Amino acid sequence: MAADKLKSDFPTADTIAAVATPSGRGGVGVIRVSGPDVTAIAEQIIGGLPPVRKAVYKNFLDKTEIIVDQGLAIFFKAPNSFTGEDVLELQGHGGPVVMDMLLTTVLDAGARQARPGEFSERAFLNDKIDLSQAEAIADLIDSSSQHAARGAMRSLQGEFSNIVKELDNSVVELRMYVEAAIDFPEEEIDFLSDDNLVKKLQETKSVFVRLIQQTKEGALLREGVTLVLAGKPNAGKSSLMNQLSGRQSSIVTAIEGTTRDLVNEHIQIDGIPLNLIDTAGLRAAADEVEEEGVRRALAAVESAEGVLLLIDLAMGDWRQQTLSMLAELPKLESTKVIVVLNKKDLVSAEDDNSGDFPYPLVRISAKNGEGIDELRISIKNTFGMGISEEGVFIARTRHLEALLTAQAHLLDGILQLQENLAGDLLAEELRLCHQKLCEITGEFSSDDLLGEIFSSFCIGK
Amino acid sequence: MDYPSKFDVIVVGGGHAGTEAALASARAGAATLLVTQSIETLGQMSCNPAIGGIGKSHLVKEIDALGGVMAQAADMAGIHFRVLNSRKGPAVRATRAQSDRQLYRQAIRRFIENQENLQLFQQSVDDLIVEGDQVRGVVTSGGVCFRAASVVLTVGTFLGGIIHVGMQKQPGGRAGDAPSNRLSERLREMPFTVDRLKTGTPPRIDGRTVNYKGLEAQPGDDPRPVMSYLGSRQDHPEQVNCFITHTSAQTHEIIRNGLDRSPLFTGEIDGVGPRYCPSIEDKVVRFADKDSHQIFIEPEGLNSYELYPNGISTSLPFDVQIELVRSIKGFENADITRPGYAIEYDYFEPRDLKSSLETRFIEGLYFAGQINGTTGYEEAAAQGLLAGINAARRSKDLESWCPGRNEAYIGVLVDDLITMGTKEPYRMFTSRAEYRLVLRQDNADRRLTPAGRELGIVNDQRWQRFTEKSELIDKRKDFLNSQWVQPGDDIESYLGQSLNHEYSLSELLRRPKVSVESLLTAVAIDWPDSEVNEQIEIDLKYEGYIKRQLEEVEKINGQHGVIIPESFDYALVGGLSNEVQQKLTTIRPETIGQASRISGVTPAAISLLLIYLKKNSQLRSRQTG
Repeated sequence: MAADKLKSDFPTADTIAAVATPSGRGGVGVIRVSGPDVTAIAEQIIGGLPPVRKAVYKNFLDKTEIIVDQGLAIFFKAPNSFTGEDVLELQGHGGPVVMDMLLTTVLDAGARQARPGEFSERAFLNDKIDLSQAEAIADLIDSSSQHAARGAMRSLQGEFSNIVKELDNSVVELRMYVEAAIDFPEEEIDFLSDDNLVKKLQETKSVFVRLIQQTKEGALLREGVTLVLAGKPNAGKSSLMNQLSGRQSSIVTAIEGTTRDLVNEHIQIDGIPLNLIDTAGLRAAADEVEEEGVRRALAAVESAEGVLLLIDLAMGDWRQQTLSMLAELPKLESTKVIVVLNKKDLVSAEDDNSGDFPYPLVRISAKNGEGIDELRISIKNTFGMGISEEGVFIARTRHLEALLTAQAHLLDGILQLQENLAGDLLAEELRLCHQKLCEITGEFSSDDLLGEIFSSFCIGK
Repeated sequence: MDYPSKFDVIVVGGGHAGTEAALASARAGAATLLVTQSIETLGQMSCNPAIGGIGKSHLVKEIDALGGVMAQAADMAGIHFRVLNSRKGPAVRATRAQSDRQLYRQAIRRFIENQENLQLFQQSVDDLIVEGDQVRGVVTSGGVCFRAASVVLTVGTFLGGIIHVGMQKQPGGRAGDAPSNRLSERLREMPFTVDRLKTGTPPRIDGRTVNYKGLEAQPGDDPRPVMSYLGSRQDHPEQVNCFITHTSAQTHEIIRNGLDRSPLFTGEIDGVGPRYCPSIEDKVVRFADKDSHQIFIEPEGLNSYELYPNGISTSLPFDVQIELVRSIKGFENADITRPGYAIEYDYFEPRDLKSSLETRFIEGLYFAGQINGTTGYEEAAAQGLLAGINAARRSKDLESWCPGRNEAYIGVLVDDLITMGTKEPYRMFTSRAEYRLVLRQDNADRRLTPAGRELGIVNDQRWQRFTEKSELIDKRKDFLNSQWVQPGDDIESYLGQSLNHEYSLSELLRRPKVSVESLLTAVAIDWPDSEVNEQIEIDLKYEGYIKRQLEEVEKINGQHGVIIPESFDYALVGGLSNEVQQKLTTIRPETIGQASRISGVTPAAISLLLIYLKKNSQLRSRQTG
């Protein structure tokens, strides 16, 4: 009985979409759409549902009827599909740019971007996947959402994050003002007749426009694998950084990081984009500034995909050094580590008993360049290319979707205020706008909002 | 001694929670006993003399829609009615009734005495009879044992109550009433989590010593709103004015000089007070740059000269209170009839409750009102009603009932309490309701009266009024849908808007700046029952938004309705972080929906839970064949 109840309790009312093929520069890319709105979405993009299980060649059109791509469309009718729901597959030209545009088009047409593992989850809940697969699907959701979380976290560094936070603050301030006026009408806060509110709404609107433009252009989000270069001071981190980037003619950027002590370089190894972050030396901090540097270095390690741990062979037993460094680093369960033993030129023929060491090990001399090629190969083998890029790619599409929806709510809210003087509808649109932004910036409860109100206004009879 | 007859439900406490609980239980057909320290103070308003307000009149109308009495009593006792937020949109519109305390008490007592299945007994309750993890009844201070299947505790601020005036403190449940310390000790022995909260009241003023000259009078609204769906203006007694005055720089100086004897600032009080209802000393300290605060002077009743100066709640010593009152315009020669005070009291962690308001540790024991960390008559009454309904249903082996967040503010209140708990006295605000556009005070009857009828707590009179109103709304809507006007019709000049093609009247009503009255005047229709016409206007104007909110509800309800078994072991679900596991284990959400509202519980965690439940229930159903 319980099982029947569960089954009948899963009407999935929303429609999800995602790129189903691995990202990269492959020939064909597939976008999968699943849920009750597949018919409506097919109507908009390819002019109607194709016959069941027949591949048809179509133009993929966006809202303004511009051709985004051309390719095959296949329709699977519920329950005879992967998820057990209506499923539409659009096969277009692979490559991140085209896939990005096509996915955006599908989301525009009413789908929501799928969470990691969500197709499998639906398939399982709809009895399309054997029960014995439960663990595997749980693992998939677990690991892929961790991965996505890291992707999102990485995407939230730097300029993008700053502007989103600024935007978030503006929206919170607007909501605080409007909600205070609604819930405390006797406190003489009347937004309906306040020009400042309109001004603030317009300002917020222009921040949205700017941020969305820049996000679309991909200007604010970093892509590629992020590696942190960690090690004691004077272990040779900067020299190694120069070696890795310097011999490459392909340095894309060499910008000061967001902090004074994290230097960020964008390099490529055989076409693999890499972000290399040089951290402040990890050691007991002497002053507050340095303490902050160490804190940021540790944070960088946490959000990176890999760590190059640089050990100074001249400082004695490298095993001892490595173990004590690893102990100082944040938990590294899903971060891969390459141990780089530097200054091999300074020590004489050393013991080579490193076969049983649990991390890849490379001996180099950052000073004269010895061993750098081996290190490159090791980096390539360890980190490769693939889902890491997808992490940021997905994060960007997700952020863009959230920003566009949030902006639409803000515009509707301004309209409701100006046309109808409808305070409750302005408040509703601002709530929805904020809710969307919170998908990027994190949870914010109605109690948090009340907290903002009580700390800003003297409320209470 | 054992009382000779047995009850289905015993309600302990005769405040706003207790009276609604007892009435609801009795209406639902359960043999109910209400035990109170004092029959004279049934329905006593311990704090400000008003019912309703933002977020609160929403609750009052919901209680009314479910057959409760608070709204009707407010109509019988209301001496000053106002509509708040009248220009900010119907969803946030609210009604407030300043009420004559005595008339209010009388009205409540009349309802209690006329209720079938409801018996009264005056004595304080000292103990609960508990066998195993089942409640079986209560023991009074006189040693009488009353037995019942369910017990509802609505003991307000009486558990371990301590009253502070300056550095003096004394036990008390309310000024003039003894606390329930025995019961408090007894409950502290049970596995509940107990904490302390604090609230306060202002000194009361002798109205004969107030100089009204130069004070701003605040008359009630005209047309005068009505609180109950069954009420009318004829129920209202004589109406009076409220007044507004302000504190001065001198007042603030007096307060600052008295802070060294303020229990709030000397650390004497550890209970947490409400942020939205701070004491005057708190306001002066926290918002030091403000040199004046508003005070609303509210009459206590028609036959009382006492006034309630709303805005100067304080626990400063009495001599400072006299000085500060007299520094306020109009109060230069005022006498205080009762000093202001702060009260600290026990409350129980509401996350230990189920959505029925039954405690998780002791079966059949229900908590409602301030004992759950809320504040306000309306919040208390709403919980009382719900606990009363469910206690009665339990005695008949019926499933418990609680409206969802999308159905009622009562649902928001209970879900917030049992999911997030509270750190300060919890008060309702409209901003707590994500479905605010649907949860309006004008449609509480349409949201809840049908459910109330099914629960057996809505009587024939109310049901008939409701169905007549609903039919009238439908009929008039059909009419507006079927009447068309053409470009060039007279209506253009009436509305001041020109038409470019033909429109139905309902389409016109959807337009901004077209009100139902202006439309009806334009087409020369005279429809009585402005309440019904208003409903039609709101329905049409908000249609798009309401549809969107309802779609949102539908979208999430599928998975959110999935029930998590009561004794579910979260440790068995792989992939949940320790933090999430711990939160779920403490809060024990009843459904996937509730789980998803717990802060820190991610969509991925919800997916893992669903997959586990799916897998497991399949296994179980195989075992049972």
